[in-house]
Amino acid sequence: MITAGVDLGAGAIKGVLLEDGRRILAAASAPARGNPVGVAHQLLEELGEAANIGPGDVEYLCSTGFGRYALPERHLQISDFTSSARGALFLFPRTRLVVDVGTQASRTMSTSETGKVLKFKMNEKCAAGAGRFVERCSKYLQVPLEEIGPKALAAEHPKLISSVCAVLAETEIINNVAEGVPLPDILMGVFLSLSQRAYSLMRYVGIQPEITLVGGLVRNVGMVKALRETVGLPVNVAPEAFYAAAIGSAVLGHSRLVKLRESSVATAGT
Amino acid sequence: MSEIVAGVDIGSTTAKCVVLGEDARVLGKSLNAVGVDIVRDAERALDAALAEAQIPRSEVAFITGTGYGRYKVYFGQLVVTEISCHARGASFLFPGTRLVVDIGGQDTKAIRINDAGEVVDFAMNDKCAAGTGRFLDVCANALGYEVGQIGPLSLQARHAVKVTSTCTVFAESEVTSYVSRGKDPKDILAGLHASIVNRTLSLMQRVGVEPEVTFTGGVSQNAGMVHALQHRLGRPVNVSPLSQYLGALGAALHGRERVRGGAG
Repeated sequence: MITAGVDLGAGAIKGVLLEDGRRILAAASAPARGNPVGVAHQLLEELGEAANIGPGDVEYLCSTGFGRYALPERHLQISDFTSSARGALFLFPRTRLVVDVGTQASRTMSTSETGKVLKFKMNEKCAAGAGRFVERCSKYLQVPLEEIGPKALAAEHPKLISSVCAVLAETEIINNVAEGVPLPDILMGVFLSLSQRAYSLMRYVGIQPEITLVGGLVRNVGMVKALRETVGLPVNVAPEAFYAAAIGSAVLGHSRLVKLRESSVATAGT
Repeated sequence: MSEIVAGVDIGSTTAKCVVLGEDARVLGKSLNAVGVDIVRDAERALDAALAEAQIPRSEVAFITGTGYGRYKVYFGQLVVTEISCHARGASFLFPGTRLVVDIGGQDTKAIRINDAGEVVDFAMNDKCAAGTGRFLDVCANALGYEVGQIGPLSLQARHAVKVTSTCTVFAESEVTSYVSRGKDPKDILAGLHASIVNRTLSLMQRVGVEPEVTFTGGVSQNAGMVHALQHRLGRPVNVSPLSQYLGALGAALHGRERVRGGAG
């Protein structure tokens, strides 16, 4: 039984094919530019090719993320909180606190052992705690996005940012550059500032192990280091955690499909 | 003793200076960009205003510093917050003012004042760029305009778009997406101006919207903002070509009071 999960995020579209709710057959992502639905369709096609299955083999499709209602062929749409939490639990079954830092929003949720979201807190109003802040830094500091994390690891005396606004922080960062603060120290300062914002959301929900980081920023080693330092506890990360919401929605699609089949079997039996 | 006084207002974006004569007339003023060396920028602002007034520095009896960089006005004898200065400056130009709206490069303030130009209550946003001059800067850039062009352009809008983002960064993305959907830049600009006014209005409501409103700060020079604010309030607001200098003017007036108080 193959299910698909598509996460239509603000920065990237992510897709996953899952077999029997347990095994990831394929995962892929593409930048969310132009027409997100077109990007999602292209992605589903690529996933099918990678997993060597035809379009008819996907039995259930769940969408999640900011653009989840846009995908017309979805069987079901799932909120980002639920799908991210479920995906985190799929990757790290002992997860009780999920931190999801994406391009345009950051959220944290506590979860039960079955993946039920117990409490959550989100910041979607401002870019300060989100990946967009890092993207902007990459632009004006002229460091390619994929190099920002590794470069930050060389920081010796991270330069903390006092501003809580991504735009006002920009002036502060440019002043720091003018004053000769080394680039790694500036970059680590950016990640520490993001981590502190995530941490305040986490504290609101309640800190409890295990903690799992998911979403776009999980691929950034600078962010991972900063978050671990800020929280002072281990934080689970995995390359697949980038796809957590897509994975979670495919998992939930699977459970739903199983239930639907059971009830139809039961109906047929009576 | 001379009663010539100067006020220097070091904002986040520009440094302003006003030199006042014995009769409290503006003898000279200046405006220049603020860079990394704030101390030098303050000096430059004073020198430029004195040059316009054609007055040597030795004739200035008292200098007051204000604004975000007020502690860098080392040559001054007094430091006053920009809140009291805008209040005093607005009250001086428009004596009926009871509410001052100051939108600068990096912050927005609503200041309720009494008939003596004293601060009764104020509310401000200095935490984030939303609703400030910086917001307009970023959005102007995203549309490929200079910030000075966007106010007049916004006045030509036919169907203003609705800008829903509060955050400057997200508003920039929203602007880009409107452009890619083929919206007229003038309509986008009108939407941006309206969104700032909405934020400003909520600050104003926190201190109480009084009948006579004076608009100050750099953004008060933007005709689109003046129009949007008046439209939203349903009545005119006071604006003057000196509006951007009201912090510096207020600072000078505070100094003048000291000098006169000391004299008698």
